[in-house]
Amino acid sequence: MERINQRLGALSALPVVLFLAAGFLAPLIVVAAFSMMPQKVFSLANLPDFSSYAIMVKEGYWESLLVSLAMALAATLILFVICWPLAFAMAKVFGRFTLVLTIGVVMTLFVSENIRLFGWVLTLMKGGLIEGYWRTWTGQSFDGLLYNVPVIIFGLVYVYLPFMLFPLAQGISMVPDDARQAAFDLGANRWQIFREVELPLAAPGIMVGCLITFVLTAGAIAESKLLGGRAVIVISDEIERAFTYGQNWPLGSALAVTLIGVVGTLAIFGVSRIDLDAIMGRRR
Amino acid sequence: MNPSKGGRIGLYAYGILILAFLYLPLISVGFASVSQARYLSFPIRQYTTQWYGQALESDTVSDLLWISLQVATIVTIISMVLGFFGALAFARYHWRFRRLYQKLILLPIFFPQSVLGLALLMWFNAVGITPTWHTAIIAHLVWIAPIATLIIAIRAYSFDPALEEAARDMGCSTWQTLREVTIPLLMPGVISAGLFSFLLSWGNFPLSLFTTGADLTLPEWLYAKMVSGYSPLVPTVGMLSVAASIVLVVVAFAVSMLTTRFKRNTTN
Amino acid sequence: MNLVTPARLLDEKAGVSHSGAPPVPRAMTQTQPILRIVDLKKTFDEFTALDSVNLTVDDGEFLAIVGPSGSGKTTLIRLLVGMEEPTSGEIWLKDRRIDDVPANRRPTCMVFQSLALFPHRSVGENIEFPLKIRGVDAAQRRARALELLDVVRLPQHYYDKRIQQCSGGERQRVALARALAFDPEILFFDEPLSALDFRLRKMLEKELKDLHQRTGKTFIYITHSLEEAMVMSDRIAIMKSGGFEQIGPAEEIYAKPKSRFVAEFMGEVNLFHTRDGAASIAFEDVSIDPAVAKARGLSPEFKGYLMARPESVRLLAAGEVADATADGVIESEYLLGSRMQYLVRLASGYKVTVELSRENRVSWEPGARTRIGFDLDRAHLIQEA
Repeated sequence: MERINQRLGALSALPVVLFLAAGFLAPLIVVAAFSMMPQKVFSLANLPDFSSYAIMVKEGYWESLLVSLAMALAATLILFVICWPLAFAMAKVFGRFTLVLTIGVVMTLFVSENIRLFGWVLTLMKGGLIEGYWRTWTGQSFDGLLYNVPVIIFGLVYVYLPFMLFPLAQGISMVPDDARQAAFDLGANRWQIFREVELPLAAPGIMVGCLITFVLTAGAIAESKLLGGRAVIVISDEIERAFTYGQNWPLGSALAVTLIGVVGTLAIFGVSRIDLDAIMGRRR
Repeated sequence: MNPSKGGRIGLYAYGILILAFLYLPLISVGFASVSQARYLSFPIRQYTTQWYGQALESDTVSDLLWISLQVATIVTIISMVLGFFGALAFARYHWRFRRLYQKLILLPIFFPQSVLGLALLMWFNAVGITPTWHTAIIAHLVWIAPIATLIIAIRAYSFDPALEEAARDMGCSTWQTLREVTIPLLMPGVISAGLFSFLLSWGNFPLSLFTTGADLTLPEWLYAKMVSGYSPLVPTVGMLSVAASIVLVVVAFAVSMLTTRFKRNTTN
Repeated sequence: MNLVTPARLLDEKAGVSHSGAPPVPRAMTQTQPILRIVDLKKTFDEFTALDSVNLTVDDGEFLAIVGPSGSGKTTLIRLLVGMEEPTSGEIWLKDRRIDDVPANRRPTCMVFQSLALFPHRSVGENIEFPLKIRGVDAAQRRARALELLDVVRLPQHYYDKRIQQCSGGERQRVALARALAFDPEILFFDEPLSALDFRLRKMLEKELKDLHQRTGKTFIYITHSLEEAMVMSDRIAIMKSGGFEQIGPAEEIYAKPKSRFVAEFMGEVNLFHTRDGAASIAFEDVSIDPAVAKARGLSPEFKGYLMARPESVRLLAAGEVADATADGVIESEYLLGSRMQYLVRLASGYKVTVELSRENRVSWEPGARTRIGFDLDRAHLIQEA
């Protein structure tokens, strides 16, 4: 059986591995190669140099990276705080309502994030849902709530909420009720139970949730463009602009490699510490 | 130990609040789509369904729908197949490189999609492929096939490996075990993976943006219209796209409910 | 295709054995071996799960393999059904070497610990499954499944039931029927009763033994529960760290264990080690008259343990004699249902367990002095390895 398992395992992994090798790893190698090309070339048939990285440092592109990372961190922390009580309730308190919530939240994932962010524009803009009705009812007008940094973070929190919520709920459901009840019985209060029992036992879920949220928000672009009106320029925006307006693939690639380097290291570090089998509920 | 009655009510209220928060922007879009005014401003004074009529008659919109539909359908079929086998390797079989493989599957999901789209664009350029909606299928699959794999893997984890061993013990060949036990038991997972694949592909924007070349999918067109100035068709087409997703989900639910009921009736 | 014909099944149900001879306890009959294991070894990386074991199983025997977890019994059974491949050694089924035959081509079948009933199929479809795989046509399959429902004493209408609608005991029977469906040469059981509650387990143990007698099949049953093994099996094989410690009828293993491990594994026991440096044979904690020891044939060279089961030890009345005796104090008393158990602390500190039937219960006060004793013909010597 184990020999069959070995063979079947490798065989059934083959299609998706081949596909990812061609569609994921190969493009990454191309990006890395392009990042070492001279400025504004569109082919890899040139002598490599590091001019793109030099420009990146000299012209302050790294500031965009810092902005993106800072906003990602803020969004991740806010999401953790917002999602924990709900995730806890989904795992331990709600019965059928968990299913309703799950379906409700998953459904939003199927709507293009553009449309949802556009909805926020319509809601928050001057003359939008909030300001418009406020004006009608109170007679007072105020400027729209858009085009600043907090609204970008708000957008990130909005779009990536499911990516924090579900891993957290999964993590919390791994905390046995017995352990919580035993801690309570032994005299722990609600906060102590959270810190001493739930947090460590739900750690895998917390880690997955925070990691995926941070990584995805660090590379997010639509929130700053649609809601932020470029109040700040995020790194993905810089990358896209280098490719489109700048027509400078090597610079765009260098920026992309830097972003991938930061979030990729985090992702690989985090992923390698997670026991996926345990999180996803392996039987044996 | 468990929250008091007040605490429970508070948590329910919180859950409803979060749901409301998630759906509020869609309500705005919905209102906007039935506003008569060419330049939207709340509160809405006159309601109309004319934009829906226009959208449905528009050739542009039907082209967009057709391209999005083709991409999503092909992505769905391929990711169900890749995901099925991928999930077996992920969850079911013990093989040497399983841990490494699991990480490879996760990486594309943990990856900024816009960067992935650009990387694919350069890759297509490097190997001399002109991007069209066909290449967008590949781009979508890089992200969606791993998700489908995970969804099916969850199902694969929850079934007892002894079932396959028992089938073998009773004389099944590898292929018979797959057909008689593995596929029927994983089927619910495969179907929900298919549903996810379709809907995620249907709504995807960042990957399509760089990989469709001259073709446009629905979300791309919406985005282009959003940034280049308001068009009353934007909320309308947006709502149509959302409606299509909802219809699909409702149909899927209804079918699954009916089949379980049918099964129960025929065996009792 | 080796299907049991309905006629043969009827014979089985009527309790008629095929040779025509009256049913005899299996261990007594001299039959040809159905299974032979020769120097079977299995290692996982560094870990040796099974260390060159040898075993012969007679046709029609009910063998229980008992051992604590980690003793290698699960590995052994998985090798025997073909779920794992041996590192070295041979497995023979009658005259055929089967260690490199994959599980799906072996004429053996296993009842899994989890039962492994297919949740997407009805009871009938589960039972028919092995026949369907062998290409038996639907009508024949159905007939056979209905017969088997009868054999395992389930009503015929269970044919259409879903597995989820069956109780734990019913599922056991379905699993059993499914395992019998293609008439395997040997049925293996991987602790299938371990998840059931006590009463149901007791009932099914007896039913399984009954079924064994009716079908005449060879049953090999692994369990960590000795009681289960003793109730059902003809022979018991005790496993310890990848090898057999002792193989024999339950009675022999209980009364004449070959090692301290087996003695202690087979229930509560009092063990007295030989005392070193004594002129003639002597034991720690208990005193034996040298003349009696000589008369009973105890060799002075013997090194090891003197074993006395709690029910062989008595609380001696004043003036009562026994071959081996010791003074002590009753420490505690436990009611075991039909029996009473006393814990007696000897002068040396060793605690002796004594069991009496409940009618012979003694009245005692904490700290009351007493004498225990047992006769050597009801004790057993365990040679030290």
